[in-house]
Amino acid sequence: MPHAIVPPYLLARIASIREPEFARAAEAARETLAVTREYRPPRRSRLRLSLDGADTLVAEKTPAPDRTISDAQNREELPGVVVRREDDPPTGDTAVDEAFDGLGSTFDFMWDAFLRDSISGAGSELLATVHFGRDYDNAFWDGRRMVFGDGDGEIFAGFTGSLSVIAHELGHGVIESAGGLLYRGQSGALNESVADVFGALAEQHRADQTADQASWLIGEGIFTDAVEGRALRSMIEPGTAYDDDVLGRDPQPAHMSDYIVTSDDNGGVHLNSGIPNRAFALAATALGGRAWERAGLVWYRALTSGTLSRTADFVQFAAATLAAAEAEYGEESEEVDAVRSGWVGVGVIGNGSQP
Amino acid sequence: MAHSPDRAGDDAPVAVIVVRTGGIAGLRREWRAEPPPDERDRWIELIEQCPWDEVTGNGRGADRFAWDVKARCADREHDAKLADDEVEGPWRRLIDEVRELAGSSPPHAPRATTGRRDGPPAPV
Repeated sequence: MPHAIVPPYLLARIASIREPEFARAAEAARETLAVTREYRPPRRSRLRLSLDGADTLVAEKTPAPDRTISDAQNREELPGVVVRREDDPPTGDTAVDEAFDGLGSTFDFMWDAFLRDSISGAGSELLATVHFGRDYDNAFWDGRRMVFGDGDGEIFAGFTGSLSVIAHELGHGVIESAGGLLYRGQSGALNESVADVFGALAEQHRADQTADQASWLIGEGIFTDAVEGRALRSMIEPGTAYDDDVLGRDPQPAHMSDYIVTSDDNGGVHLNSGIPNRAFALAATALGGRAWERAGLVWYRALTSGTLSRTADFVQFAAATLAAAEAEYGEESEEVDAVRSGWVGVGVIGNGSQP
Repeated sequence: MAHSPDRAGDDAPVAVIVVRTGGIAGLRREWRAEPPPDERDRWIELIEQCPWDEVTGNGRGADRFAWDVKARCADREHDAKLADDEVEGPWRRLIDEVRELAGSSPPHAPRATTGRRDGPPAPV
C-alpha cells in the first residue's frame, strides 16, 4: 500500500492498544503494518532562482539530479564500489568528481533545453562507474550506466575530462529510453550521431555559447599531448579532428558520396555518424543563436516522437527532423529551411526533395 | 561448439589474429600471435575451448568494443565476431594470451586497413 491514508506512526499506535474493546482495530492495524510497502524514493527537486527581465526575481521548483558514482578499482567488473552519492561532498578523486559534475551539467542541459527529467524523463538515477579496467581506452554505455576507463596515458589521457564524452554516454541512455536506434549500419550511425549532438550541446549549454562560437568538437582534451589532434570528432568538419603519425587521419566522412561500407565497428557506426553530425551542425549554424533552442529541439522531437523506427536510415531520420520542424515552427519556417539545407548539404536528400 | 584438439597436422602453424574495433573513438587495433612450437598444444587447447559457433556479435549498450577473432589451428580455421560482453571465460583467456604474446600494433584510424569506400549503399 504505497499510498496509505493512515500514516504508519498512527497505525503503530493503534496496533499497540491492549484494551479488549479495541482488539479488532489493533489486529487490523497490525495486519496493515505487515503488508510490504513498495519503497518509492521521492523525486529530487531544487529551488532555482533567475532574473526575468531587469528586476523580477523568479523562483521555481525544478527537478534535481540523483547521481551515484562507483569506482571499479581498475577491474573490469561493474558496478564497482560506491564512492559518491548525490549529497556527498567532492572526493578529491579527479575522475569521480569530473563524472559527478559532468552528469550534473548534462542533467541541467536536458532539463533547460527539452524539459527532460533525466535519462528516462521521469527522474531516473544517473549511474556511472570510473576507473574501469587498467589502462582502459574507452568510455561506454552498458545499457544501465555510464562507464569510464582511465586511458592508457600514451594515446588517451582519460575520458571524464570531456563533458561532450560524458553527455554522449548519457545521451545513449536517452536514445534507448526514447525507443532506441538499432546499433548497426545507418541506424547505428544515427544512434552515434544523436549522442554526439547531445554531447556538443551539453558543452555549448554549459559555456552559454552560440552555434558560431562553438567548437563542434567531441572529446576535446581526451588525447595526451603526444597526439596530433584536437578531439575524437568534429561535427562541423568531419574528418579533420586529428591527423597523427600513429593514429593516422580522422576517417569520418562528411558526405554520402564518401559513405564507408565496412563490417567493423558494427558497420562503421563511429565513422558514418560524421554525415548526420554535419547535417545537424549545418542546420544549427544556419539558424544561429543557441543551437539547443531550435536545431537541438527539432532533433530531440524527432527522436522522441514515438514514430521513429528503431531501424531508421539517414533518409528516414531526415524526414523525421523535417516533420518535427514543421510541427514546431510551421511548414514555411526558416527552421524547416535550415534543417532541409543541412541534409541536402551532406547528400542525404536531394535539393528540393521531400523525403 | 567444442572441438577436440586435432593432432593430425602437427607441422601446421598455429596463428591467432584479434581485431578490436569500435569504442567511443572508433579506432582499430590488431594483435597477431604465432606461438612457438613448444607452446603449440597449449594454444590449440586455448583455441578449441572457445565456443566458436555460439557467439553472436550482438550486445547491449553503445560504444562497446567489437571483436573479430580468427584462428588457424592444425588443419582448421575459425572466425568469430564477438560483442564486448561476450569476451569472457575461454574467449577472455585466448584474447589475453594473444595480446600478451603479440605486443600490439598501435591503434589507428580504420580507413587505412579496413575502411572500404564503396560509395553509398542506396541512391541519394
